[in-house]
Amino acid sequence: MTAVTVAPIGSARVGDFAAGARAMVPWLAGVTPFGLVIGVSAAQADIPTLAGWLTGPAIYAGSSQVAAIEMLDAGTAPIVVVITALVINLRLILYSGAIAAHWRGTPRWWRAVAAYLLVDPSFAVGIDRYQRPGDSTDAHRYYLGGAITLWIAWLLAIGAGATLGAQLPAALHLEFVIPLYLVGEIVPKLGDRATRRAALTAAVVAVVAISAPLHLGVVFAIVAGLGAALTVTGGKR
Amino acid sequence: MNVWLVIVAAGLGSYLFRISMVVLADRVTMPAQLERASNFVAPAAFAALAAGGIAANTAGVDLAGWIAPLAAVVVAMVAVHRTGRPYAALLAGMPTLWVLSAVVPA
Repeated sequence: MTAVTVAPIGSARVGDFAAGARAMVPWLAGVTPFGLVIGVSAAQADIPTLAGWLTGPAIYAGSSQVAAIEMLDAGTAPIVVVITALVINLRLILYSGAIAAHWRGTPRWWRAVAAYLLVDPSFAVGIDRYQRPGDSTDAHRYYLGGAITLWIAWLLAIGAGATLGAQLPAALHLEFVIPLYLVGEIVPKLGDRATRRAALTAAVVAVVAISAPLHLGVVFAIVAGLGAALTVTGGKR
Repeated sequence: MNVWLVIVAAGLGSYLFRISMVVLADRVTMPAQLERASNFVAPAAFAALAAGGIAANTAGVDLAGWIAPLAAVVVAMVAVHRTGRPYAALLAGMPTLWVLSAVVPA
């Protein structure tokens, strides 16, 4: 009898975790080449290669890792490097705020680990699952499945780039995998007027602010999108 | 401050950003307006990252260089709209990008 009741629960746990890992796969196609490039730049920079790789587990956010490695290579003042990396990562506060309500009631250790793994792809995969109906415990396993898969792949990619100097054919245009994947995630949600306004405003501001210093364009765009959405009152359409 | 300390400091600061609102959510009740705004962080962030990613990867190219990525986005949007499946964006968009990149010189 025990086997009958335990097996489905166990397989459901693995199933949620595996589903999260599968949802992360399209992101891996885009972020893995980015990780390789960061690894290569870490190996070529005038800093210990291991220090460059350490930006992966320590900072764990591609754009600010690139900025930190490039600025350390250029001999920029340490405090400026730290401030720049943190400014680029300001969006993580927004992600933290958006996902916090879903993590209420979880153990502190779980939130400590889950927060460490929070970055653009894990936020995207996780929030998509949390916004669907269903048991929040299943959604937590789904989030961890995606986030841990990303973490492992990211560190392996940086390590491979640092040691092998890998190069992928440019003709594959893998740099467009993530933007197109995100388009796929946005389109089904555009039925709601406020969401439509948030997405459109954020997209326009992101393009206009593409040259903003310290990669602040994304932060400007998200804030503008939120402001635009909040101007919508009442009905869905 | 040496290289290692810089990386550790940037990492600790980034972690504080990640956990900041998660910790505060237990102690502070977010204003209703902020709670509502948090529902739109995901679509705004996705749109910003997608548009910013495309713009960054087409920076410096002439008008012809924009054709393939923009056409890929349009085809991806139509594919998702018609099928209701998010992954259709990649299945339709990437081949469009490859074909047009080969046909239309940047």
